[in-house]
Order: sequence, then structure tokens, then C-alpha cells
Amino acid sequence: MRTHCSVYRKTRSVVVMTAIAGLLLAGCSSAAPEKSAADEKLDSLSFEELKEQAIEEGSVVVYSFTSRIAAIEAAFEEEYPEIDLIAHDISATKQVARLKAEADAGTASADVAYIADAPIVIRDLVEPGILQQYLPPRIADVLPDEYESPLVANRLSTKVLLYNEEANPDGSPVSNLWELTDKEWKGRVVIVDPNVRGDYLDLMTEVVLRSDEFDEAYTELYGKHLTLEDGVENAGEQWIKDLYNNGLILVDGTDAVNAAVGAKGQEEPPIGFSSYSDLRDNDEEGWALQVAQDVSPGPGIAYPAYLGLVNGAKHPAAARLFIDFAMGDESETGGPGYAPLYVPGDYPTRTDITPPEGAVSLEDLGAWIIDPAETIKIRSDVADFLITLQ
Amino acid sequence: MTMTDTELMLVDKPENRKTPGSEGRGRFRSVITNPVVVMGIVTTAILFVLVVVPLMGLVGTTLSSEGIEAWQKVLASRLSPNLFWEPLANSLTIGAATAIGSVLLGGFMAWLVVMTDAPFRKTIAALATLPFAFPSFALALAWETVFRNDLLGGRVGIVQDLGIAVPDWLAWGGVPISATLIAHYYSLTFTLVAAGLATVNGSLTEAGEMAGASKGRVARSIALPIVLPSILSGAMLAFAEGVSNFASPALLGLPVRYHSLSTRLYGAIDTGNTERGFVLSILLIGIAALVLFLSTRMAGGRRSYATITGKGGRRYIIHLKAWRWPLFGIAGILALATTIIPGLVLFISSFARHSNSLTGGFTTHFWVGESDPKIAQGQPGIFHNPQVIEAVWTTVGLGLAVAVCATLLGFATGYVISRLRGAKALTGMLNILSFLPFLIPGVALGAAFIAMFGKPIGPIPALYGTFAILVIAGAAYTLPFASQSGRASIGQISGDLEEAAVMTGASLVRRLVRVVIPLSARGLFAGGVLVFVKMVRDLSLVVLLVTPATPLLSVMTYQYASEGFAQFATAITVIIAVISITATLLARRLENAAQPWSESS
Repeated sequence: MRTHCSVYRKTRSVVVMTAIAGLLLAGCSSAAPEKSAADEKLDSLSFEELKEQAIEEGSVVVYSFTSRIAAIEAAFEEEYPEIDLIAHDISATKQVARLKAEADAGTASADVAYIADAPIVIRDLVEPGILQQYLPPRIADVLPDEYESPLVANRLSTKVLLYNEEANPDGSPVSNLWELTDKEWKGRVVIVDPNVRGDYLDLMTEVVLRSDEFDEAYTELYGKHLTLEDGVENAGEQWIKDLYNNGLILVDGTDAVNAAVGAKGQEEPPIGFSSYSDLRDNDEEGWALQVAQDVSPGPGIAYPAYLGLVNGAKHPAAARLFIDFAMGDESETGGPGYAPLYVPGDYPTRTDITPPEGAVSLEDLGAWIIDPAETIKIRSDVADFLITLQ
Repeated sequence: MTMTDTELMLVDKPENRKTPGSEGRGRFRSVITNPVVVMGIVTTAILFVLVVVPLMGLVGTTLSSEGIEAWQKVLASRLSPNLFWEPLANSLTIGAATAIGSVLLGGFMAWLVVMTDAPFRKTIAALATLPFAFPSFALALAWETVFRNDLLGGRVGIVQDLGIAVPDWLAWGGVPISATLIAHYYSLTFTLVAAGLATVNGSLTEAGEMAGASKGRVARSIALPIVLPSILSGAMLAFAEGVSNFASPALLGLPVRYHSLSTRLYGAIDTGNTERGFVLSILLIGIAALVLFLSTRMAGGRRSYATITGKGGRRYIIHLKAWRWPLFGIAGILALATTIIPGLVLFISSFARHSNSLTGGFTTHFWVGESDPKIAQGQPGIFHNPQVIEAVWTTVGLGLAVAVCATLLGFATGYVISRLRGAKALTGMLNILSFLPFLIPGVALGAAFIAMFGKPIGPIPALYGTFAILVIAGAAYTLPFASQSGRASIGQISGDLEEAAVMTGASLVRRLVRVVIPLSARGLFAGGVLVFVKMVRDLSLVVLLVTPATPLLSVMTYQYASEGFAQFATAITVIIAVISITATLLARRLENAAQPWSESS
């Protein structure tokens, strides 16, 4: 059984400290600062009570970073015909800017934010109290602690190493990430510029956080110890520097990576980091993308998609009902609320939903699951380090 | 009578009392009761709210402790070379190349169309106004389709497909970025310079020839000074668009790590480093303002460009003789390469089975298909999507509303600047204020407007989420277009016309309505269409301001593109282009009567 922490501070000045403290307290779900009595009351409502109040409110406004919200909207309105869901498809970065501006202006227009970019979300939205956590009572037992707080997460997405299966029918051409810094891969590694896109910056940050593993992987591949260059502080930074110096190619979006790596008919296709779930577009786009397994020290990252309540929401009960819905139900595939997100390569967080077939399990994939609280500590330093490399 | 005399006349009107004490060299006096001064003050106040307040918000953000750190990181740290100085050099190069290239290309086309007897002038004129109606990424995309090499892997472009190796400098980096931006923005300079050249009066040039001046001399000493303001306006707009454009450098520059200030700035904001993004945009604004200031100084020698006078004028034509067809050929190829080719690439790729590939088969699904779970995750074609249809009307409505508001403001700005030369402080301020919004990144301006109009101010209710805030922000954002065309078109109206009206006792309002507006209508109208087109396809400003109540096409394009549905994105882009092109062509039709080169001859 989980234990609720119910330490809520009253003054705004300690909000940030509370939030950080909350993050550090293992098993404590109170990273969200300052909940009003009304919020606490709503949080504790049973599903039936919540549904009743939500129907009274009549509508709910959702900001979503994925366009699949359209399908979720249709499913939600079928389940709850009395409630009008107004969905707004808007990227995570723009959501952050917008929710901040709306909070400053005191005009919260959304009730729920469905959002990625976890490290920034925690720093810019959760800590200042713009978004708060709601854990639907129905799922408390089936959601692992790490996906309950500071906001609930309903799935994990990935940025992992993908290769061209047509040109490499026997499996991944790379078994150790250090190979990408060798001559053979010079000018043949493609990623989205981490100084332009946050999820790729999270990937690079994770590499630095995993420096010890990169150190070991180096020894494993070359049979000798890694010596760091001047101005490089750890093995992770050294790998990144070597990768950049090996003609790493930067592009402006994941589709450019997928098309470069996946296009059929290439003799020496490049390799690159992108979303595992993009393999679903292979047929439609004529790609031969495949995920690289058994890569030392790891193939990339998995990161959460959060559902957060907007502080001051006009439809607080309907907002909670939507979060309950989007977290899925107890059926194997998560039911209608989760169905649009049920694709191979994305991983449901609920322990009672079976991951979609057609993709290796998260365990077998071996992707690093990021810890947003750790990521944010060094993320901007890593961004600065990357800038010096170009 | 010269312009300066006119101003004296205006100031010396009987109902205005002269005040003692003069400004500048003692020739100009402004009186607080002078209606033009009042108009100037009101206009400045409006621009202040629209431009300075958001800018102060930007600056304010960078004065926090994180902001100070960002300043230090950008200007004086180990990051500075890669974060600021190199991107700055690249941006200035891109901006200058875009400005010079656009003036040369647009100027050449305008000269050919307005001043010569080249064949098919109407067609060339129509084509040359179109590139601006395309989104800038369409041209970058077209460039990739033709010149992409094997640097990235994946599919290569047409040239390399034919077995000709494309060097990196031609496929990526500064050269293609500048080329695509010129191809996009020369239509701006064309529109402005053509309007300017159209006012070159035959009697002026003939007078020059009769006095024994050579053709070259006539061009240099008579025609050029007359069109100089429109050339400068065009160059400045092209420069500002060039340095602030994001799509081209992101698409064509990143693979060779060619960064501009705009990619650095958007990158900083997009990775959560807002303060740094704002610092970079303040620097961009400052540097571009400096360039603007210097170029205004450079052109400061001449003060009057009045060519629309009370006297009748005839069109002046250069007979090209043997050069007619070769020059037409050059112009025709340039016009086709910048309009039809990118247009076709855009159109065809919306039918492509595979995104961004023209070799994998075609489908009409993305336009007219019903929802099919096997294609595009069950998304129906855009004609079956009621949101798209709704967005079309909202977008057109927004474009029209912004065009009207911005044009009115631009007219007022232009009028005050050209008629109130005495009040240097006021006109100088207006001049810079009306240009600055160009250099504020749209995202930052949008955020500033939410912060400013999100809560009620006095009698004004909170505007966030309304159509009104989109219109206000749009007017601020497009003001540079409107005021440049306002200045250019009013600057050409000789003061003696208004003076005549003054003599008959006409008030300011009457003079404006009966004399100035009708005479400048064509230029203002052209400016209004530019504003409309800019607004219809702009994304960066509105992306933070739209709510579900006000769906816009450009925002839908962006959403589809970021979700990997490239064909939906291009299909909607085609709709945007069709709206823009229709507006541009319709506008040309409406002004036909007034355009000398459109007369059938």
C-alpha cells in the first residue's frame, strides 16, 4: 500500500523548496505544492461522485502534445456524452510557454495538460504550482510509484538507436555506442539537434548521467581505459565530443532522421536516434527502420508523458475525470481511453496493461528511463557543453 | 514648391498660432495645436502600446538573475563564439545577401515590367508577386528536392539522381539559405520598386534627355532617386525577413551546423532556456535597428521624392529592341523557378504516398479520403475535416481584419513621418517603432501579448482567447510592412497638392480623405495585401495565442507536420498558398486600372 504524504505548505515563497524536497522524498507523492481544501476534497472523491460532478460541469479543456488527442476525444465523448471535451493540440514547449503566460495573467483556459518534456515541466510548471498532480483512486494500486509523482504518467516514449534493416538483415550493425565515434561511422550518424529539441537534449543529458557505464563500455570495446581530453569532465561528455567530431549530422526533426536512416535502397545508410514507435510508419513511408538491441551501454532513453491538472481550472471535476479516462482501464489493452496510444514502441505505465505486440519489451530494449529530477540538474550545462562543440 | 515649404505652409495655417522657439536649424516649428502633430502623438502612443510595452516585457525578463546569467553566457563565456558571434556573422551574411539579392532580382523584374517594352510584361508581373505567397519552407523544400546530396543519407535530389555530384556548399549552408530567401523575398522588393517606378514621370526623364543626358545618366540621376525610397524599403524588409527567418536555416543549415541567430534563438526557447532566447532576440533587435539606422542615414541626403504632382504625367518607356526577348527569357526563367517549381513540388508532395518523396506512388487520400485506419492513423482527408473548413474562414477573417488595422496604422505613421519632418524626435521614434516588430521573434511577441492583455486593463476586459487579441498582435507584428508601404506611397505625393487643399481651407481630415488617401490608395492597397498574405501564413506569432475557439490554418499545418503527417501539412499549405495567391491576383486585378504597365498596348 502507498502512503500519502499530506504536508502542504501555505506560503508561496516556500513552494519551490517544498517541491524540491518533495521530489527527493522517496515514495512521497506530494511534489505538487499547495493544494487547496477544495482540491483535496475533489482528489478524495470516489469515481461515481467525481463523474456526477463532472457531468454537472459539462465540459473540459485539454492541451495535448499529441494529435492523437482527437481519437481520445471521440472515445471520451462516447463514454461520457454529457461532457464536451475541447481538445487543443499544442507541442510541449508551446504548452509550457502558454501555461506560464496564462498563469501570470490569471486566465487559466485549460483544465488538463497532456505533456512531455518532463524535466522542464517539473521546473517550470510543477514547482511553481501551475500544474498539480491528480492520482485517480481507481489506479493507485496498478501504477508504479515513479509514475505517480510529481505528475501521473500514462506511457513512456523513446529516443533510441534505429538502423536500416534492409541494409543490415542480420541485426544491428552496432553493438557498442563507442563504435559510432569510429571511422566507419564518420558522417553517418544522424540526430535532431539537441540544442533545438528538448527530448534530444534529455538524451544527451542521460549520456552524461550514465558516464560510469560509458566508461565501462569503452573498456569493453577497446580493452583499455578511457583517457579524458582537456575540458572534458567525464566519459559521457567524451563520447558526445567524439561523436560530434566524427561528423555527426544534425537535422531539425525526427522525420528527417527517420527518412535518412530508414529509406530503402541505400547501400550505406546512416544510423540515428529516433522514436521506436515510428516503426509503425515503415509500411506507409517505405522505410526499413529497426531498433538496435543489445547495444552497450544502452540504446537510448525512455521518458514519461504526463497528465497534469491545471491550477485554477474551471472544470476541476471533469479534468480529474479525463485524467482517470486517459490513464486507461483494467482491460489488457487499456480500453478506449488508452487505445489511441496503444502502439508498439510506446510503453504503458500501468502494470495491468499488456505492452502492445510487435515491439520488444522495455526490459529487453534496455533503454534508460530518465529521472526528470536528476536530468534537470545538469541539463542546461549539457546544452552549454554541446554548444561549445559546434 | 518643395516639400519643406509645404510644411511651413501647413504649420502657418491661420488657425495655428506660431509658438516662439524653434527646433533644428530654425526652419521648422511644430505647434501643439497642429493637427498633424496631434496625429503624430496619437500614432506614437498606439505604437508605444503595441511595440514598446511588449519589448519592455522582453527586456524585463532578462534582468532577473537568470537573465543576467544569460547575458553573460551569451556575450562573455566559452559559449559566446558558437552561441552568438558566429551565428551573428551568419545572420548578417544571410540578411545582407537576401537584401542585395532581392533588390537586384526584384529591381530588375520591376524595371523590365514597368519601364520597358518587353513582351508578356503582365504575366511576369503577376508571377513576380507570387513567391511571397508561398511559405518559406516550400522554397527550402523545393531546393532540397532538386539539390539534396548524400550527406544525410536517405533519398537524394533530382540533380544527384541524374548522376551529377552536388557539392555540400550547394546543397547545404549559407548559399542555399540565401538563395531560397532571395527567391522568396524578391517579390517584396518587386512590388515596392514597381510601384515606385510606375510614378517616374515621362516628362521628367524627357527633360533630362532634352538637356543632353545619356540614358544611363537619366537612369542614375532621375529615375534612381525617385525609386530610391522604395528600393530602400524593400531592402530593409528583405534584410529583416532574412535575419529572422527560421525555416530555411533550420532545414538547409543544420546538417552542416550552419547556425543563425534565429536557429539559436528558437533553439534556446524550445529547450526551455527562455531567458537566453530573449537575450538573443534583444541583441538581434539591437543589431538590426543599427543597420536600419545606418541605411536611413545613408539615404538621408535626399529629402523629397515627390512624383505624384498636380501635373499630368506620361509613362516613360525604354525600347529594348534586340534585347526584348533575351531579357524576357531571363526574367521568365527566374519567375518560373521561384513560383511554378516550388508550387508544383508543394502540390505534388501533398499527393505523395510517402511523405517528402515523389517516387513512392501517389494517393488522393490526404485531400478527399474518408477515414481509413490503414492510412495516416485513421485521419481523414482535409476536405472531410470540419476543423479545416472552419479554420479557412477564421484565417481569412483574421487576415482581413489585421490588414485593415495595420494599413490604417501604417498610413498614419507614413503620413506623420513624411509631413512632419520638422519634429525629428517624433518622426525618428515613429520610424524605429514601426520597424522594430519585425525583429521581435513571433513567439516572444505572442508571449508578451498574453502577459499584457491576459488580464483586464482598466475598461478593457481580458482579451486572451478572443479574436481581438489575434488582431491586435497581428497589427503590431505586420506594422513594418504597412508602415513601409505607407511611407513609400505618401512620400511620393507632392506637397503642392495638399497645399492647394490647404489654401481652400480644407481641414486635415478632409485633406486626408479627399487628396492623400485616394492618391496613395494603390500603394496602401499593395501594402494591405502583403499584410494579409503575411498574416494568413504566419505561424510563430499566433501559435501561442490561438485557442480552440479560433482555429487557424497555419497552426494546423504545424501540428500535422510535428506529428509526422507531412502530406496533410502540405495539403493545408497548398490551401494557404491558394488563398494568398488569390488575394494577390485579385488585388492586381482591382488595381489594374491604375497600373501603367497593365494597360494593353
